[in-house]
Order: sequence, then C-alpha cells, then structure tokens
Amino acid sequence: MASFERPGRSGTMAKSTKALSGAAKDAYLKRTIRAEGELPEPVRDRLTERLQSEIATVSLRAAAVGDPPAAETEPVEAIRVGVVHARCAADAPEFDPYSPNVVVAIRTRGREAVLDQLGRIEDVDNLRLLAREQQLGIASDLSRPDEIRAAIVAAAERRIANRRAAAS
Amino acid sequence: MAQFLAVANRKGGVGKSTIAVMLAHAAAAWGRKRVLLLDLDTQCNASLMLVGGEGWDKARRGARTIADYFFDRFEKTAEDESHYVLQGIGDVAHPRTAAGRVSLLPGSLMLEDVQGELYLKQAKRGTDPDTVAQEVRNRMKRLMKHFGMDYDYVILDCPPGLSFAALAAIDLADQVIVPFRPDFVSQFALDRVALLIERVETADQLETIDFAKRRYVCLPNYVTGKGRERLLIDQIAVDHPLLTSRVPLLDSVARAFDWDETKKTMAEKYGDALPHLRALHDEVFTAQAWLAKAG
Repeated sequence: MASFERPGRSGTMAKSTKALSGAAKDAYLKRTIRAEGELPEPVRDRLTERLQSEIATVSLRAAAVGDPPAAETEPVEAIRVGVVHARCAADAPEFDPYSPNVVVAIRTRGREAVLDQLGRIEDVDNLRLLAREQQLGIASDLSRPDEIRAAIVAAAERRIANRRAAAS
Repeated sequence: MAQFLAVANRKGGVGKSTIAVMLAHAAAAWGRKRVLLLDLDTQCNASLMLVGGEGWDKARRGARTIADYFFDRFEKTAEDESHYVLQGIGDVAHPRTAAGRVSLLPGSLMLEDVQGELYLKQAKRGTDPDTVAQEVRNRMKRLMKHFGMDYDYVILDCPPGLSFAALAAIDLADQVIVPFRPDFVSQFALDRVALLIERVETADQLETIDFAKRRYVCLPNYVTGKGRERLLIDQIAVDHPLLTSRVPLLDSVARAFDWDETKKTMAEKYGDALPHLRALHDEVFTAQAWLAKAG
C-alpha cells in the first residue's frame, strides 16, 4: 500500500504514477473493489474503508519523514513526492505510535521515566502521531518537541485522573 | 457442590450472554461436566440461543422461568427446583448422561417486575428500605444456591445494570468473568463493577487487593487487534486481572448463536472460533486457580 501502483493492470495508476486527489483516490478505490463482483457488498464496503484508512496512515507516516503532506488538490508532482516518502517510510524502521503506552507508563514507572522515554522520539510529527493515536489531546500550536512531550504527559495524567474520578 | 461462575458487567452489549453460553457448551462438551445456566437477563438472549424462540415461549407459558422460580419459591410454596429446569438443551450434540449436558433455567421478561413485587412483599414486614433490599438479594442468592447440589458448574448470565438478581448473582459467585469491549467507556464500567464485586467503595481500596485474591477476572471480547485496542487492554491490565484469552470479533461467533435444532459438534458450531473457545475453556475451567480459591 506504500504506492498506488498496480503493476500489470492497465488503465490505472500503474501507467505513470498518475495524480489522485483524496476524492479521486476514494472513487478509484471504490471503483476497483466494486469490480470484484463475487464479493458481497458489505465486504467490498469494508475493504474500501480499510484501504482508505491504511492509505491515510501511510500518508501520515510519509509526511512524518520530513516534507509537509501534499494538499488534497495538489497535482501529479505532489502526489509523486508523497509516494516517494511513503516508500522511504516503509524502508525506515516503522514508528509505532502505540509505544510507549503513555498512560500505562505513567502508572507503572512515573512521569519522569515517561518523559525520558518520549525524549527518544525527536520528530515532532511522530510525537503528534503518538498523541493522536493514544487519544491524548495536545494544543495544535505547540512546535517544540519538549513542549509536545510535556503536553502528552499532562494529557495522560488528566486521563488517569478523569478515570479515577469516575470510579468511586 | 457446584462452582458458581457469574458472567457480569454493568455495561450492556459486551457479550455476557454469548460468553456464558460458550462457556456452558465448552464445560459440558470438553469437560464432561453437568452444567446449568441461569438466565438472569430479561432480554433472555442466552435462553433464545439455547432453546430457540419456541422453546423459550413454551417454558414461559409453562411457568418454568427464573421469574417463576423466584416468585414461587419466595413464599416457600413451590415445586422442586428441577421442575423449572430444561435438561440437556442447546444445539451441541451431547451424551445421554447428565455429565456433558447443558441445562437451562430460562430467562423471563417479567424478572424485573417480579423483583419489584418481592421487594414490596418484603417491605410489608416493616424494615427500612436498605435492609429490605438486602433481604431480597439474600433470599435470591439462597434460591440460586439451591441448584448447586445437582451440577458441577452453575453459570449465572447476569443482566446489565444492578438489579437485585445481578447483585445476588455477583455475591454468590465463586468467580466472576467480566467481558468487555476494548473501548474507552469500558474502562469506567470495569472500574465500577470491580468495586462492587470486591465490596469496596474506592479505587484506592481496590488497589490494596492483590490480583490473585480478587474474585473477578476480565475478558477482552470482540477483539480486532487494532493498536488502540491493545492500548486500552494494557491500560485496563494495570488495574484489573485479565485472562490471557481473547475472544476475537468473528462472524463464526455471531453465527454460532443463530438457533438451530440440528445437533452439531463443537467444531461445526463454532468454526474458526473454536481455538479461541478452547483456550478460554482451558483457562477458565482447568487452570484450577479460581476453584482452589473458591474452595
């Protein structure tokens, strides 16, 4: 899923890394999967949703490599850049946005240990991805890694307090 | 005396009835045990899974449901317990002997009304509301305990919420299995039901109870394996004992609960869910830890 090329299929992007905007990409996926007429419709719908979600993740990871993500409406060149970055991301050790599990780490090892652990993640986009996937709300205007790490820990502490308040 | 196993969670839609039925089938088929399922949920889903709509309706019309049992026995003017029990039910092939068979005390839509009536009856004796409620729960608990003489396992399929019947079942149980969906609100539900099961009032008090000494264990159900689910399961595991078994979200599990009169093998009934059910069975029934603890 790192690129949208489908070798051996004519009339699709395989020809020349054609540009696809978000909407066109979705339509393309729907059209391609709908062609698999033997699959029941709910399965086709699920597959389409799954692919859209996977591609969104790949795009996010590609963006995390360095360049800003291509805008939805950008043409061929921008998409090509996105594809290249997706490949780079696939080659690089994959960033796991679920590790460390910040809430668990705070509970079991404490705030300082978690900050240390997060300190190993230097890339701002990866820190943001981790916060998003772990549903730890952080302000969008933070830009420095240390600010984002502190915000992640604070959000996790709020989550722990929130749960504890509801428990008794 | 039977081991009483409650399947409970205050939250609805977590798969209590499906887990209760799966465990009943597994203990009977693989453990060759005499298993009774008490359907305490007014939705009666476990009953419908085990005897189908017509079978359940017949039991209802014959006044052979859990509500009838409680109502009749509350004033000590009832038939023997066995009158209310449907023997050797379910669509899994079983032997003719009691060992290896599943029996059912069917659920009733009227159970909540009956609980209200029992409360009012008890209240006429003039005690304060809390004491009356406690007496109703205790009476229900004793009535459920009567079934212990004839079975190896009594599985209590609890309703969501905190009815007298649910509280009595949780109180009676040697072990409580708490199924949950790995989602955000499930954490809150587990925290609350854990306090109830362990009879404490705060999270701090709960923390002082060692996992090995707790009467409950949580079971992740409808698991898809997504990252966020793993995250939540790990977070829950910090505060609550978890089974290592996971019940995945599979069509075969959903299909297994379409009532069908044809008797099947466990493999035919549960399809690709079978290994997961086997693991769950082994962990719950053959690990023995909870049996030793209860005994």
